[in-house]
Amino acid sequence: MTLAMNVVQVLLLILMAPLVRGVIARLKARIQNRRGASVWRPYSDLLKLFRKEDLVPPSASFVFRLAPIVVFTATLVVAAFVPLLHGSALLNATGDFVLLVYLLALGRFFLMLGAMDGGSSFGGMGASREALVSTLAEAPFLLALTSVAIAAHTSSIAEMVRWTMGQNFFQFSAVHALAFVAIALVAIAETGRMPVDNPTTHLELTMIHEAMVLEYSGPSLALMEWASAIKLTVVMALLIALFAPWGMAGSLSPLAIAIASLVLLLKMTALVAALALVESSVAKLRMYLVPDFLGVASALAILAVVFTALMR
Amino acid sequence: MLSVPVLTLISCRWAKARALPAVLLMGSLAVGIAVAAAAFYGGQKFVIDVSQVASFSFALSVDRLSAFFLLLICSVSLPVIVFSSSYIPRHYSGARRHWLWALLPLFLMSMVVVVTASTLFAFLFGWELMTLFSAGLILIDGDSEERRHSIFVYLLMMHAGAAAVIGAFLLFLPHAGNFAEMRASATSMPPTLRTAVFLLAFVGFGTKAGIVPLHLWLPRAHPIAPSPVSALMSGVMLKTAIYGFVRFAFDFLGGGPSWWGYLVLLTGCVSGLLGVLYAIAEHDLKRLLAYHSVENIGIIYLGLGAALVFAANHSPVWAALALAAALLHCLNHAIFKSLLFLGAGAISDAAHTVDLEELGGLLKRMPLTGTAFLIACCSIVGLPLFNGFVSEWLTFRSFLAGSEMSNFSAAIILPLAAGVLALIGGLAAACFAKVYGVAFLGRPRSREAAIANEVPLPMQAGMGALAAACVAIGVFPGLVLRSLGKLTAELLPGAELPQAATSLSGILPWIALSALVLVASIAALKRTKRLTATWACGLPGLNERMQYTSTAFSKPLRKVFSQVYKADRTVEVVPDGTPYFPVSISYRSVRTTSFEKSLYRPGVDAIVAAANRLRQLQTGNIQIYLLYIFAALIALLVFMRFV
Repeated sequence: MTLAMNVVQVLLLILMAPLVRGVIARLKARIQNRRGASVWRPYSDLLKLFRKEDLVPPSASFVFRLAPIVVFTATLVVAAFVPLLHGSALLNATGDFVLLVYLLALGRFFLMLGAMDGGSSFGGMGASREALVSTLAEAPFLLALTSVAIAAHTSSIAEMVRWTMGQNFFQFSAVHALAFVAIALVAIAETGRMPVDNPTTHLELTMIHEAMVLEYSGPSLALMEWASAIKLTVVMALLIALFAPWGMAGSLSPLAIAIASLVLLLKMTALVAALALVESSVAKLRMYLVPDFLGVASALAILAVVFTALMR
Repeated sequence: MLSVPVLTLISCRWAKARALPAVLLMGSLAVGIAVAAAAFYGGQKFVIDVSQVASFSFALSVDRLSAFFLLLICSVSLPVIVFSSSYIPRHYSGARRHWLWALLPLFLMSMVVVVTASTLFAFLFGWELMTLFSAGLILIDGDSEERRHSIFVYLLMMHAGAAAVIGAFLLFLPHAGNFAEMRASATSMPPTLRTAVFLLAFVGFGTKAGIVPLHLWLPRAHPIAPSPVSALMSGVMLKTAIYGFVRFAFDFLGGGPSWWGYLVLLTGCVSGLLGVLYAIAEHDLKRLLAYHSVENIGIIYLGLGAALVFAANHSPVWAALALAAALLHCLNHAIFKSLLFLGAGAISDAAHTVDLEELGGLLKRMPLTGTAFLIACCSIVGLPLFNGFVSEWLTFRSFLAGSEMSNFSAAIILPLAAGVLALIGGLAAACFAKVYGVAFLGRPRSREAAIANEVPLPMQAGMGALAAACVAIGVFPGLVLRSLGKLTAELLPGAELPQAATSLSGILPWIALSALVLVASIAALKRTKRLTATWACGLPGLNERMQYTSTAFSKPLRKVFSQVYKADRTVEVVPDGTPYFPVSISYRSVRTTSFEKSLYRPGVDAIVAAANRLRQLQTGNIQIYLLYIFAALIALLVFMRFV
């Protein structure tokens, strides 16, 4: 039963991901006084792309077509780490946070390689910038997760979540506040959102993630787009699970699950709304200001780790 | 005296300089692997002692620690020799080929002697020969002013390091004869003496390992050696220094105060970060790989430092974990770094250059080399399912365990070191995305790269075997980890590897399996594919010059970390005073590591200045020399009168 529930969680994360994107786009459109496309639009985009043919540059090697598959698979495995509706995940006790960070790195590494295989300048440009952003994002991400792990005395994501569920909201420590802000900042960089990267840009010179998938088309592009949607949803789910897991089902009764689903919907909506608001009101940072942005995240993460020792 | 296998191993080594050198060498390496595996997995001990029959005390013995490093040396050297059996005849002829086949086995033998020695004499014998033979191997590749200078720096620093190592041994006097006596006498040593021994061993072995700031020789010596030799030097020889350090710090001294650990930890952080940052700025593949050796030695030192801190704070279990992480990273680095250097050899074989800016698109022309190189890149970056990840994960896990300690500073410093390790990992990922993307993907940047051909079968076999080892350890870490646990239990009494270490070996095969199924099923989906030119913004077509180069790729990171590089830039505009309409512009950017400028240069200048001053004594006038003798005599007589 628990296993079935955990599988459902992973499927939910994967299938819900395009919707989250659609809702963000729609909300942004509303904030900017446009009508915007339907929230189901990303699904039809994916369907359309899957039916098309793959256009491959003649100079490209097998890495070009392997990269989207590796990116998608790595993201899918990451989805198995995160509790969604109850305090458990498919990779439960062994769902280690270092493994999570490095699986994301695996996907990113192949994303960069695929970009450089196109043989145009934009792929290299995107990869080079992604290398800068992801390099500086990895350390604060890992340190912030470390601080939460230290507080919960475990390295498994699911066990951290269960520990947090057992805590009283008002006893929540400064460690978590610091780690939350750090991970939220990193998440913006990691998923390529404003103000680090503009996912809706049409100007190649300002692109990071979009420049890397510029040469992709058809099913390969669909895998890339879907993977980045899943990554966004998983990171949001991770933020919710680590820092506000209350409301998750304690037992597997239908009522508890129903309540958990409703609560999750509310939390997700809040996060999505916040993201749409930020993206509509903030200008993209100049690329060489991104290190400062991530520097703030690093400082907060370091403080979080120091506080774990101070507050025990 | 159950010594036959080791004896055959070594006699084989000596014999091989004549006929069928490669086959004999491979055979003796296979024997070496068998001996090492029996000792490492089975716990058997092998000893040969010639002290009874000879007038000097020369003895070799294989305990578990020696066996681990013997296994590392032999099993990594074997594929390298397979590679060389085709690489050397293709690139060297006549005397140079004979010299290579004569020196390679001697070099390997000296390393075997270092890790199996059980007396002072045998150890130093191997240690000095290792330096000399490797210098000889570097010399084979040609002779020029610059190369001679590099070899001079190499030999100078190696001998300075060896002096420190000898010093560390001599402090054990009068018990410095063999290792067993040294171990026994270390417990009764006064603390200051123990500290002196530790520091001398730290500096002496650190010079060989290439820790910052003693790394200066490494990026000079490694790139100019023949590629298989670079593979052996970087992959294997550096590990003998780790062996020596572990032997001293853990086996002889049995750990010490926690500041020893913090010193090693700090060294690891600095070496790791600076090593990878210098590597990113390079576009000569072999120099870049040499700097990555500095980085990986840094990661190993992070593990060793954590182990020393844990041991000082009475948590032997976590010390065992950190030590196992460091030792496993030694093995992993030996495998993937040898593979990377062999890959560099294959590239230079096919495209006649290792300058990244001249390469590109090699994967299409050299599929097997390219795939093996990709596996090595994933391993060195520490991506899951490849071997580098396992040892980095164990290091992370031990840092996390640091938070459980009652000692306040350890509980802060160790978890923070995890952040440094993550930063190193991120930078390494950026660097190898650059290396692989520029060298193997995209379009060829030179004619040689465009017509490159796959290398012959033995070279492919050597690389393929190492690549297979990367994946095998990455998916089934238990292969090595279980026996490493027994080894750490011998070094740190009462320490079993904690449960945490085994959890990863449980999950990795499943993740690998599910990932494989996923990848295979997605790849099996029917996807029609059409070849079409990359969009060129409406222009007639793209050419290879429009791609990002290695230098362009690393520019953002070099800009962010500009404090580290401190490049000397000169821009010359001709004619002068016309900034907007110049006839030509030349731009030069020279980067010397700041250590050369600020740490070594003043010392070298002072020595040269003192030597110049002293030269004035040498006038060439015989009367003056007679005066010196007379003055010295008087001074001696006066001295003797008052003593």
